[in-house]
Amino acid sequence: MSLPPFKVLRPRSIDEAVGYLEKHVANIRVLAGGTDLIPSMRQRLFSPEYVLDLSGVAAMRGVRPQSDGGVEIGSLTTLRVIENSGFLRQHYPVLAEAAATVASPVLRNMGTIGGNICLDTRCLWYNQSLTWRKGCGFCIKKDGDLCHVAPGGTKCWAAFSGDTPPALLCLNTEIEIAGPSGVRRIPLQDFYTGLGDSYRKLQANELVTRVFLPASSADYRGVYRKLRVRGSIDYPLAGVAVVMRHSSNGHSIGHIADVRIGITAVNPAPLLVKGATDLLAGKEMNDLLAEAAGDLAAKTAKPLTTSALTPEYRSEMIRVFTKRAVLAAAGMN
Amino acid sequence: MTDFSIIGKPTAMVDAAEKTTGAGKYTDDLCLPGMLVGKILHSPYPHARIKSIDTTRAERLDGVVAVAIGKDAPKTYGILPVGHDEYPLALDKVRYVGDNLACVAAISEGIAEKALELIDVDYEVLPAYFDPEQSMMAETNLIHDHKPNNLEKDYHHVFGNPDQGFAEADQIAEARFIANEVTHAAMEPHSTLASFEIDPHTGQPGRLTVWSSTQVPYYLQHKLSLVLEMPMQQIRVIKPLVGGGFGGKSEVIPLEIIAAVAARKARAPVKITYTREEVFWAHRGRPRTIIDLKTGVKNDGRITAVKARVVQDGGAYCSYGVVTILYSGALLGALYDIPNIQYDGYRVLTNKPACGAMRGHGTVNVRFAFESQLDELAARIGMDPAEIRLCNLLKPPCITVNGLRVQSYGLPECIEKTVNRSGWRERKGKRPRGRGLGIACSHYVSGAANSIIRSDMPHSTVNIKIDRDGGVVVYTGASEIGQGSDTMTAQIAAETLGCSLSRVRVIAADTDLTPIDIGSYSSRVTFMAGNATLRAAEEVKKLIAAAAARKMDCAIGDLQFRNDTVFRKNGHANQNESGGDSRPRLSGLAQRREDALQPTVSGHVEGQILRGSLQQKRKDEFPKNSMTFEEAVVAAIDFHGALTGTGSYAPPQDARGGKHKGAGVGPSPAYSYSAQVAEVSVDEDTGEVTVHKVWAAHDCGRALNPVSVEGQIIGSVWMGMGQALTEEMIWKDGMLMNPGLLEYRSPSSVESPAVEPIIVESLDPEGPFGAKECSEGSLAATIPAIANAIYDAVGVRLYESPFTPERVLAALRARKNAKPLNLTEGIDPTAPTRFREHGGSLCFKGKGPERHALDPARRETPGGSPK
Repeated sequence: MSLPPFKVLRPRSIDEAVGYLEKHVANIRVLAGGTDLIPSMRQRLFSPEYVLDLSGVAAMRGVRPQSDGGVEIGSLTTLRVIENSGFLRQHYPVLAEAAATVASPVLRNMGTIGGNICLDTRCLWYNQSLTWRKGCGFCIKKDGDLCHVAPGGTKCWAAFSGDTPPALLCLNTEIEIAGPSGVRRIPLQDFYTGLGDSYRKLQANELVTRVFLPASSADYRGVYRKLRVRGSIDYPLAGVAVVMRHSSNGHSIGHIADVRIGITAVNPAPLLVKGATDLLAGKEMNDLLAEAAGDLAAKTAKPLTTSALTPEYRSEMIRVFTKRAVLAAAGMN
Repeated sequence: MTDFSIIGKPTAMVDAAEKTTGAGKYTDDLCLPGMLVGKILHSPYPHARIKSIDTTRAERLDGVVAVAIGKDAPKTYGILPVGHDEYPLALDKVRYVGDNLACVAAISEGIAEKALELIDVDYEVLPAYFDPEQSMMAETNLIHDHKPNNLEKDYHHVFGNPDQGFAEADQIAEARFIANEVTHAAMEPHSTLASFEIDPHTGQPGRLTVWSSTQVPYYLQHKLSLVLEMPMQQIRVIKPLVGGGFGGKSEVIPLEIIAAVAARKARAPVKITYTREEVFWAHRGRPRTIIDLKTGVKNDGRITAVKARVVQDGGAYCSYGVVTILYSGALLGALYDIPNIQYDGYRVLTNKPACGAMRGHGTVNVRFAFESQLDELAARIGMDPAEIRLCNLLKPPCITVNGLRVQSYGLPECIEKTVNRSGWRERKGKRPRGRGLGIACSHYVSGAANSIIRSDMPHSTVNIKIDRDGGVVVYTGASEIGQGSDTMTAQIAAETLGCSLSRVRVIAADTDLTPIDIGSYSSRVTFMAGNATLRAAEEVKKLIAAAAARKMDCAIGDLQFRNDTVFRKNGHANQNESGGDSRPRLSGLAQRREDALQPTVSGHVEGQILRGSLQQKRKDEFPKNSMTFEEAVVAAIDFHGALTGTGSYAPPQDARGGKHKGAGVGPSPAYSYSAQVAEVSVDEDTGEVTVHKVWAAHDCGRALNPVSVEGQIIGSVWMGMGQALTEEMIWKDGMLMNPGLLEYRSPSSVESPAVEPIIVESLDPEGPFGAKECSEGSLAATIPAIANAIYDAVGVRLYESPFTPERVLAALRARKNAKPLNLTEGIDPTAPTRFREHGGSLCFKGKGPERHALDPARRETPGGSPK
């Protein structure tokens, strides 16, 4: 499969990049690490006239700890850097752990945190070649008007399959978006729409430039658990991130002071499990409580047949993995 | 003689440097002046009649040179003489999603792809068949008109008296097993470059040269000749480096013929390289198989009878299908001593890509069922699973009840060694909960005793030529596909001639240069091409010995060839020999290099074409007790003229099987044997299975190259583990849902277990130096070994492969009567009854694909899907 013809634009600054986006707004795609875009272009999911190659925008790289204890991460920072960052591993372990599970080492060398946040939603009926998609008559997400996963429906159920966003959601992450009218900063939680097709609130002339992890989320215990068939390469079929802080109680671990649970790959968006804090905060972790957390997370999950393994199984694994993850975060496994 | 200087020693592959440095050339690396890129248009429908096909718009596109369609080569072919059912490009009908319709030859890949979009095809969509058991009931809209009930072939064999056998049994187990479809996933996608020379007399395309990633150059030459209606001598097939075949290149793959058809029409060289998706469509992998198996045993562990009904979901064309369904039955024999066998095999056509030969051809899925059931029966009679296997050994030399001749039989030693090394007796059943050990055995042919085209033609022929400088050139038709064929050939030639490996150059798989060899499949190369090489080398050796004996004034029988030297056994061996292997192979060459520094009689330095003076010098020195290989070669050429030899191999008559219908498949001159113990753990909350270690013993007769044998054992275990745990082709209405290596999950290095390969050498009386096959036999044992280990770990028996986490979890839940969860579309993997439309790992509850609003099929049948 050849790449469709396109012109490459190589800006040196964010302003220049946004300028290009504005100029070619109807027909441009952004290339960060390229691990998702390039195969998709070969499959003719995108045939843009211009490809905006961000590799020259140095300002968008790097992990920069802030004086208040938080950290700012350039969206072009590779997952490899995040996985190996001593600062992140110490203060935001859930993010480093989630980043380390993405694909394989070779892909993490290329893939970026911004790319992982913006990752296109995935579905077996969508991530296929043009020839293949002709065979099924296309689908609602691309070129077609029906959904094969939930027939009769008009909603696209392609699953968001990034590993780092559930961890970032747990950390109350904010992201910076640059556009022609300037820079805005929004909670990551507000970035996703919950729809499979127009899955993110990002205009075609906008760019995710920075990721902010607040100081208030630092030093939480963190755990990421990922369901996949192989120990490498695979996208998550279900993923659970948990962050947890305990009330200080001398030297022993006390009650849970704060906790957040994020899930991925089982909905068109990564989601925080609502009610998790209410369920767990102020309590001491035990098996029953962990199971209740698992049940709660499983209720949030609405997997459909967008990837391998049956939805029932993936939903069940959200339950099992959440239970395990909260126990692990409480130091109990 | 067990004292060898070349064989039996770990030897680097002769093409290793080329491959590891990237200097080696695979077909897709090749380029010719004026070469065009070919792209194939594939059918989007599983079953449709072609009403019309219009290529005008595509032809008009700038950069398109030609568009070939069915009418350009309306001849059928197929790998089996009984299965000529494929057109290079569909003529009237397409039979699976991915079937070939047209080929654009253009100046670039992008233009060719664009042109594909401009070919207008008008289809009449037909009802399609995806489930083999339903397909067998079809009366109308047959996939091939001449195959009633969509039945490619069925066989019904009875050996001994199964009814009586079951009557004598104390315990009988009966169950349905399902093994889902897997494919080879070779690293190199198929690629073919075809180029015609212009005939000087007619100006028309004349001689054809085809470079192709193939395991079978001669079959390709033969089928090209049929389809293109050209004599075989006008066609030259060359096999460059091949990046793995595993059976997926062991027959003529559509692109190989299409490239030639397109090149003829475009009057320019055309290269086609499949995308990974196209590789999946070309397929020829292991069919989904339903096995209804019944086995009876006595309380003492003896098997009394086996009854198997096997249905294979063969896809839309015959391919190797008739052979596959026969192997599935025939290889019930020759592993254990089974007195009574009943076999009913059905090879069924469905609207999916054709299945064919894949590593362990025909035996793997049935072996999974059989070894699982034997484990079950052992538990029922309270016998150790290793013990029950030892209770049912053959007593070779013997002929099995279904007519297979077994001479060498290392199975007992394989079982014993895996049991000992794995600590089976101490550890089996005593692992902590969730962890277990399982054992299974398997075997495979060392080449089919009957070739696809029945004849008395030798299966392998090898020529050897030696020049005056002592360079040995071996011409063999055997195809190196990464398995080590060329290295094996060089080793046997060097060992026989007593020369160093570096002297031997292997020219392989070029139909203009190399004599006929039927190809690299059914694990036949070491046994058959190896024997042919041995015979050719012995013929040349005789010539050299005759001349050397004359020079050394001794009897031919007194001569020994070793370490680049010919010497008298009873005379004092020269220093190099007395050291044995301590100063081995290059000693002769080193000596020559030393000589080269000394001016010879004529004052010149040797190595600069000084044969005359060198011979003068030699003449002065004779007679003596030893000669260098080179001197001996010069003497032989002086004495005989050209120094060439030929050897060929045809399996002996008594190894060719019985007389019943279908008896031709299964017989082999020798069988390899394998026993494996797998240690796994099962996560009872998630159903995830981890394989920790596999102890794999393989009886390969003699290990000509132990490092290569170990590699084959490890590779077999790994590939078997893929089929056991993760690999599965998933279908929905004839659409392959995972046509790529992201979603078709071959194991990665992360989940590869430790494998302890154990080489067992039973020394076959007919194998070259006693060697048998080592590349396929081990695979089939891995799947049941893992299944049995899962049973040992958590007490559930899986009847459907692969053992994906959801199947294992569903089985655990079914056993525990826990909260019912519909994890696998209502199919209990401990008692599968029917094929799902898809493998079961995906559960589409909807209506399946409907057509796009602009889809021509939808326009014709308004308001609904074309079905």
